[in-house]
Amino acid sequence: MKRLALAMALVILAGLSIMPFFASNYTVTFTFQIFMWIALAQSWNLISGLTGYVSFGHVAFFGTGAYTAAILIVKAGWHWFPAGLMGSVTAVSLALIIGYPCLRLKGPYFAISMLALNEVVRALVSYFDSLTGGGSGITLPPSSSLWPLYYAMGGVALTGALISYWVLTSRFGLRLISIRENELAAEAMGINTSALKLYAFLISAALPGIVGGFYARYVTHIEPLGTFPLLTTITMIVMCLFGGKGTIFGPILGATLLSIFQEMVWSRFLFLHEGIFGAIIVFVILLMPRGILGVLQQRYRLPRTV
Amino acid sequence: MLLQGIVSGLLAGGVYAMIALGMALIFGVMRVINVAHGTLLMLGGYTTYWLFALYGLNPFLSLMISFPLLFLVGALLQKYLVSHVVGAPELSSLILTFGLSIFINNMAMLSWTSDYRSVEFLTGSFLLGPIAISKPRLVTFSFALLITLAAFLFLIKTKTGKAIRATSQHRELAQVCGINVKRIDCITFALASGLAGVGGSLVSIMFSIFPEMGRGYVFKSFLVIVLGGAGNYPGALLGGLILGVVEGLTSLLLSAQLSEVIAYVLLVLLLLLRPTGLLKGRT
Repeated sequence: MKRLALAMALVILAGLSIMPFFASNYTVTFTFQIFMWIALAQSWNLISGLTGYVSFGHVAFFGTGAYTAAILIVKAGWHWFPAGLMGSVTAVSLALIIGYPCLRLKGPYFAISMLALNEVVRALVSYFDSLTGGGSGITLPPSSSLWPLYYAMGGVALTGALISYWVLTSRFGLRLISIRENELAAEAMGINTSALKLYAFLISAALPGIVGGFYARYVTHIEPLGTFPLLTTITMIVMCLFGGKGTIFGPILGATLLSIFQEMVWSRFLFLHEGIFGAIIVFVILLMPRGILGVLQQRYRLPRTV
Repeated sequence: MLLQGIVSGLLAGGVYAMIALGMALIFGVMRVINVAHGTLLMLGGYTTYWLFALYGLNPFLSLMISFPLLFLVGALLQKYLVSHVVGAPELSSLILTFGLSIFINNMAMLSWTSDYRSVEFLTGSFLLGPIAISKPRLVTFSFALLITLAAFLFLIKTKTGKAIRATSQHRELAQVCGINVKRIDCITFALASGLAGVGGSLVSIMFSIFPEMGRGYVFKSFLVIVLGGAGNYPGALLGGLILGVVEGLTSLLLSAQLSEVIAYVLLVLLLLLRPTGLLKGRT
């Protein structure tokens, strides 16, 4: 069983890695976006799916990464790849500043402070307009080819999956899950919950930072409103919940399925986009709290963390 | 100059306090942070707007309609959706109310477009010594204060109010004493929605009305709860007034753009230094 799963994963990886050579430009772009969502959903899962501390402002890290990369590319003349990686450095620094105080308290405090974080970062970005271009944003030089970005984003998604695998199969992950199940009991067992939550939060902020950095290169123009949309956070949450929160493959499954649905159906109902997501959230929480994978786990007796 | 900031801040703070009281009640009784609180506020705002635009109803009279209307909406939401996640991990209730707020906001945008609308009823200001006081703000402040005091009276004097406070102090014990906790949940959520609705009506007299108008108030209400101390209802009044003054001074001395940033810094500092709130509450 395990070998079969590994073989399948390798085949899919091999297929994806040679895909740009024969697939159309449209398919490559679409897959690039799926990679992006997989990485983002994974990152949300690492903090919220595992510890139960809901982050309503993960897009703040995405946006921070995007602005870091854009500023480094345009103002400092960096190559886009190291600039994108630097996005994670600023995102993690932001997470450290926010997470240190907010994660010491129980769930709701963290959730609401994250909801506001997004608005705050956006306000700061607009305020320091000499660096960020204010409301009109930053325009990057046009990029020549999508290929390098495709592989870079694929690498980020793969890294996200590997980190998830490592976290969920390690003691670290078990301790995080114990925080979700009962934080007080976990503390009584001698688990340093404040430190572990913070580590998980930092890891989960690093991925969106890089994704944001590469995304800035992809869209070549960023401005405050388009870079910090609440919809991005919503999408991460929906994908993760839909696939199954707190699992390795849940976010991947959710991101892939919902991206495909979205492309096929919802692009025709553009204005209903957020509403449908809201309805899915309510539906999943009330009727399918553990997502698709949760249903499959119950039916086929799979391990809980897969 | 400084006095001006404090006065206009206090006037705004009264409305914050009333809106936050609703959120504090829900949090106290059910341990649920209602992220859809701002959405209910928005529905109250549109109630006032449509009654004013279609029938020319005095916006202050429309409070008599927006309160019962949102009371009903709140009761239904609690009965059919939120009651399922009371007692579940926080993640469920937070995400559920978040999903609800997105859904309702989207429906509002589809039905009423995302245009900015306004109720032009009471405008202008008068001078009191060196301080300019805006008329709509003074009147809405008085209304908010009256309603908040009425809510306190309800909580202190009536049997239902006592049951609400008992449930928020200790749910199981309240149940043992023969209080129907589910019913109290329903009444609390309905009452809180009603307060949010009235808040929306009052806000719509001062500011523009649009589907996302309530979003900022979720954070503000939460900050007020933290300032006053969770589970401490009079604390909400104090917290609201403080937040108002801080915002008033920030927008006067620095920039209105930064007032949200300052409020955020305030929250983080407060969580670090005094997590039980200024008046004593629970963590």
